[in-house]
Amino acid sequence: MIEHKPLFEAMKQAVSQTLENMAFVETMEHYDQSYELPAEDLVWTSMLIMDPVQGELHLAMSKALLVKLTTAIFALDIDEVTENHLHDSLDELLNTIGGLFMSNLLADNQTYQLGLPEFGEGELPPPEPNSVIWKLMTSDEDPLQVIATGAPLVALKD
Amino acid sequence: MKRIIIADDSTTARMFIKRCLQIIGLGDAEIIEAEHGKEALAAAKEQCPDILLTDLNMPVMDGETLLKWVKASPKLCELPVIIITSAGNPAKEAQLLELGARQVINKPVSPPVMMNALKDFLED
Repeated sequence: MIEHKPLFEAMKQAVSQTLENMAFVETMEHYDQSYELPAEDLVWTSMLIMDPVQGELHLAMSKALLVKLTTAIFALDIDEVTENHLHDSLDELLNTIGGLFMSNLLADNQTYQLGLPEFGEGELPPPEPNSVIWKLMTSDEDPLQVIATGAPLVALKD
Repeated sequence: MKRIIIADDSTTARMFIKRCLQIIGLGDAEIIEAEHGKEALAAAKEQCPDILLTDLNMPVMDGETLLKWVKASPKLCELPVIIITSAGNPAKEAQLLELGARQVINKPVSPPVMMNALKDFLED
């Protein structure tokens, strides 16, 4: 059962707006909240939140979904997509999501600073105890997850 | 023909901005791409662009530093600078406008938002 606190809504809205605008894909909460993304074929990117609170965001999905999103973003055929396109599009998706998320959460007079996204493949770094996970899926039922870690960042939900 | 510099470390973001420019009628503009502020500043000095679109959060030289350098340069100080960022909010926007930015647009950018931001530029 997902808690629908401001933190949760802020991220859901950020992901939805970003993917719809950039890749023309709708997203929603995954119907199976026990679903875990398999480590094989997993791609993810991480980005530090540096100010005014410290934390980290991760965006994870299957490589197959990333290829789908990247072909939509770049308007390319599947055989034209390179590894660079994949890395860059996932990083830019998280960069945009992170900005909208912080903007949704913070007051208008509060500035924030984001780090640069870093791409990874395979198993995600082990989650910290106070992590918050958004289990989402596209309208084609392709799962994706966003994870927020760092006590000060996660405390924004209160 | 308009000459536009797009500064963003993300290929995806630069491509997306180019697509927006095409949609709003600037498909024939000469686009100069830069991966960071330093590259954009050098390109601006050499190429005399009509407008500079820049991200904020970039390696080597960020967009805010680029804006300060542009506004401090006698050669470039009249160059319109539009910031396209994922780290924008009203407080940051006010700060950037104070520094001389023409407009601040939040990512994800869309053609209508881009059209609105470049309205004066398109009418020239």
